[in-house]
Amino acid sequence: MRYLTFALTKGRLASKTLDLLGKIGITCEEMQDKNTRRLIFVNEELKLRFFLAKGPDVPTYVEYGAADIGVVGKDTLLEEGRKLYEVLDLGFGACRMCVCGPESARELLNTNQLLRVATKYPNIAREYFFNQRHQTVELIKLNGSIELAPIVGLSEVIVDIVETGSTLKENGLMVLEEVCPLSARMVVNQVSMKMEDERIRELIRKLRASL
Amino acid sequence: MQRIFHTPEGVRDIIGEECAQKQLLQEKLRDVFRRYGCHEIETPTFEFFEVFGNEVGTIPSRELYKFFDREGNTLVLRPDFTPSVSRACASYFDPAGSPVSLFYTGKTFINHSSLRGQLKETTQIGVERFGDASADADAELLAMTVECLLASGLTEFQVSVGEVNYFKSLVAEAGLDEETVQELRELISQKNEFGVETLMREKKLPIHQTDAFTALPTLYGGRDVLDKARSITENEVALKAVERLQQIYDILSLYGYEKYISFDFGMLSKYRYYTGIIFHAYTYQTGEPLIKGGRYDQLLRHFGTPAPSVGFGIVIETLLLALSRQKLLQPLKDETEEILYAPGERAEAIRKAMELRSAGKPVRLTLKKEGPAR
Repeated sequence: MRYLTFALTKGRLASKTLDLLGKIGITCEEMQDKNTRRLIFVNEELKLRFFLAKGPDVPTYVEYGAADIGVVGKDTLLEEGRKLYEVLDLGFGACRMCVCGPESARELLNTNQLLRVATKYPNIAREYFFNQRHQTVELIKLNGSIELAPIVGLSEVIVDIVETGSTLKENGLMVLEEVCPLSARMVVNQVSMKMEDERIRELIRKLRASL
Repeated sequence: MQRIFHTPEGVRDIIGEECAQKQLLQEKLRDVFRRYGCHEIETPTFEFFEVFGNEVGTIPSRELYKFFDREGNTLVLRPDFTPSVSRACASYFDPAGSPVSLFYTGKTFINHSSLRGQLKETTQIGVERFGDASADADAELLAMTVECLLASGLTEFQVSVGEVNYFKSLVAEAGLDEETVQELRELISQKNEFGVETLMREKKLPIHQTDAFTALPTLYGGRDVLDKARSITENEVALKAVERLQQIYDILSLYGYEKYISFDFGMLSKYRYYTGIIFHAYTYQTGEPLIKGGRYDQLLRHFGTPAPSVGFGIVIETLLLALSRQKLLQPLKDETEEILYAPGERAEAIRKAMELRSAGKPVRLTLKKEGPAR
């Protein structure tokens, strides 16, 4: 039997994924050790391998078949636009992609004035404004603390993930429009899905039943 | 000026053993096509934009390498052989009168986005059969696919076959608008079952149609998938599509190749020119299919000579990668003899080399360096 390789998104998503896998009897003891410096973890019995990667890298590993299966947020999938099979909505990590800004920006959103949009997700923002709203905007790519942009006048609005909305509220911002709902997804490499059909289908079936 | 020693991103030099292995592999594959009575064809590296334009349904225009000639025509480096070979076939043959099979080898060029580790220039080898609408032609092409993979030395592989009319007829029956179809096509291609389910619930389709669409992402596997495909719809065109696959499967059994075949009704290519069967070949340790092909009965219409056609292409680089990762490449022996000679021995050396070469043996002649005797 060949190894099936999982690419998990570092952080909360990974621990939730491991909890879920634990429920269907898939465990990886090597991963429990928090101080380890190893990059790849093996379950010899089930012939499974696991590794952790940064979110945006997970679809890349899976697209090229370096990992057979990945668990990653829908936001990353939309942003990266890779060729993958998206086989399961795992439900956890639920949040929304939203256009946010101060109340005063609401009006601006519906005029044809110059609108600057700061975001970590330029592809999602482009798709939303250009192809759904048919509106021309200036996109500004940022790498973190996106909420800062409208406060200091770098942009009028932002496109970002909203979970509870408390960060927004504390900074005098609000959700102006919802772009799409998000949650963690299980993705599979196109070739692996065919070549390891039985094992992967069984895995999907069990996970679906436990959700 | 800065001197440049490397090639641009996405293209590369191929040398030594790798080059020899690649040539050898190409020769093995071409031999398969010759054994099936196909004729070899060469088409130009670049053509008018219209050959690969939007209506033809090949890759998106922004991924094409485009440039202008002196008259201002837009030219394109070919991204795909099928439109080129179809154009040539429409110009020089009468496929509607008598079927023609043509095979090709050459480079294709796709301007992929950067930093994705994808080659922009790849070598493709493939075959197209024009003027034959029968299931026999489909089966023969699939048999060639299997033989190409066997000839390359692969032992574990799978050929997955779909039929686009199954999906298309269900869509027509449901009367969905273009935008929804696009979304649905995307979701089914991604095997996103819950996505399809959500979309269907939004569209409030009759229950049997919802069920059929929702089944599509998981409607793949061995021969029993055909029965399942029959059971979920009463649409005549869809049932005919299943019947076609059954027929192809039966013909392939006569070749003895049915064991390599599986089915996938959720396979929908981004090449919109496909009108019938569509197939991919897969093996371990490559993230993408080795072979892609299908039937495209409407493509030749663009070039003035309508005729049904079916074909496939192999990406040599992907196949070589699979062979090398699976350790299936036989090391090549270098049997070249070297004749080392001093200027005084020239006549003797050249006579000997010519004798060996005319007997078909590789010989390298090397003049000894002047200087103190070793």
